[in-house]
Amino acid sequence: MLARTADNLYWVSRYVERAEYLARILEATQRLSALPIAYGGTTNEWDSAVATAGCAGAFFAAHKEANEESVTEFLAFSPDNPSSIRSCFEVARSNARAMRTALTIEMWEAINETWLELRRFQPSSMSREEIARFLRWVQECSLRFDGSAYRTMLRNDAYWFSRLGVYLERADNTARILDVKYHMLLPAHEHVGGPLDYFQWAAILRSVSALTAYHWVYRESVKPWLVADLLILNDQMPRSLASCYENIVRNLDSIARAYGRQGPAQRQARAVRTRLQNSRMDGIFQSGLHEFIGGFIADNNRLGAAIAEQYLV
Amino acid sequence: MRIRIRHDTTYHYDVPVGGVIQMLRLTPRNHDGQFVVDWRIDVSEDCRLDAQEDAFGNIAHVFTADGPFVALTVLVEGEVETQDTGGLIRGAVERFPPSLYLRETALTAPDAAIAGFAADARAAAGADPLATLHEMLARLHRDVVFDTDPTHAATTAAEAFALGRGVCQDLTHIFVAAARALGIPARYVGGYFHRSDGVVAQDAGHAWAEAHVPALGWVAFDPANGICATEAHVRVAVGLDYLGAAPVRGARDGGGAESLAVRLLVDQAARQVQS
Repeated sequence: MLARTADNLYWVSRYVERAEYLARILEATQRLSALPIAYGGTTNEWDSAVATAGCAGAFFAAHKEANEESVTEFLAFSPDNPSSIRSCFEVARSNARAMRTALTIEMWEAINETWLELRRFQPSSMSREEIARFLRWVQECSLRFDGSAYRTMLRNDAYWFSRLGVYLERADNTARILDVKYHMLLPAHEHVGGPLDYFQWAAILRSVSALTAYHWVYRESVKPWLVADLLILNDQMPRSLASCYENIVRNLDSIARAYGRQGPAQRQARAVRTRLQNSRMDGIFQSGLHEFIGGFIADNNRLGAAIAEQYLV
Repeated sequence: MRIRIRHDTTYHYDVPVGGVIQMLRLTPRNHDGQFVVDWRIDVSEDCRLDAQEDAFGNIAHVFTADGPFVALTVLVEGEVETQDTGGLIRGAVERFPPSLYLRETALTAPDAAIAGFAADARAAAGADPLATLHEMLARLHRDVVFDTDPTHAATTAAEAFALGRGVCQDLTHIFVAAARALGIPARYVGGYFHRSDGVVAQDAGHAWAEAHVPALGWVAFDPANGICATEAHVRVAVGLDYLGAAPVRGARDGGGAESLAVRLLVDQAARQVQS
């Protein structure tokens, strides 16, 4: 396979996954901001939405204040923001068009129709309900693309590269949520387990659709260390770091086996997977959750660079 | 190196056995030098097989099978991807501080001869613990003859050292006992070894030792081969001695006399080139 085709496949998946993640963040933030101040606290959720999306710099260069209107516009529709939902779908679609023949018909239709329909949304005139509907539509588009890939692609290197994109992006997103929410300081008078705490952490779980899963796994009220455990170490949880790396390692291994060569990407992915497998939550808290997540994000980026170096250029 | 392992253990009983319970430490874990690509355990009879982690962080399966049956096969099979780390063991599961591995056990109690051997090695190598360990490794490999006949599973380090003969298990026990006699934490490692001479079918798994060197952490020494662990070693379980890391321990109800056949294949799965 041409490196360029592999690159396109990988990035289509990454961008579609990123669009879904942005929709989830916006949805969770909308819900959080709808809470009364007494529950929601005085922190600005829209600030943290921008930070979680990883584009605070670009946002504050264009806008003064983070509020519902400006953040929704910037993260969902802005053509100037290279990681807005709109831009994600646009880049995904142009990547897909560049290697149209490497995709199945179903995948191409899913991404192309998404793009065509996206242009019909008029952001300026949308009510809050319409925005909510739009965000759900974005998630459905991602589901459709992902499901088409899963159901129709041949299990060869094309499939593995596209999966690699999904899981690398997903790991990055989950880590970012954890990183930003970790910083969200509780007001001094709030004791741990208070209402503010509950809604914040429940919002995190919702943003990765894990609230129900949480209750199934722990059968307990929502506690930050268990949330962290679920999203970092639990490999049953499809958006956890452990689960993403399980899949990354498997797909990289399939690629290595098919090509008969392996290199730094495989080694790095295995090292991260091993660390996640051999860690325990109390150990991570002891050495600092923030440092752990920061280290993970750096490792994940390094892996992205190693994959690009090894296969995509 | 990608190592493919197939290890089956078959028991034949003269009289049908009423039930068997076993503890299997046959599942490797990942660390920086090895990655388990694929691994499974098959038991020939209907059984209950529960995975758990023992105190040392090894994966242990407990299985119970209700009889009657006259034969039982436990098969483990899998693929492990390894890298040469120069014998350094990093990123492994550590549940205890190194000082725990100074503890003496019945199989690894040093007698005067082993203590003398350790002191000689230290005198020859100087104060550096790593140099001392390498000296012991070289001397053991030179002086103790590899011989499967005279020793058995319950032979102690002191007995094997007095004989001057033994298998990898005995050499490892002697090494561990000597290291501990010098105050260096050391432990027993059970696993598999891919032979470079092309012999694929082996009679038994392999055993080597790990010793803790302050500046480096755990370092693996293989006295049977006279080397530090390489990418040919697949590390499965650690313990204070053989009993703690034994691949299979168990009991059975009835069954009369038992005969045991082990078949072990360790081969390179596919030749891959590292880029």
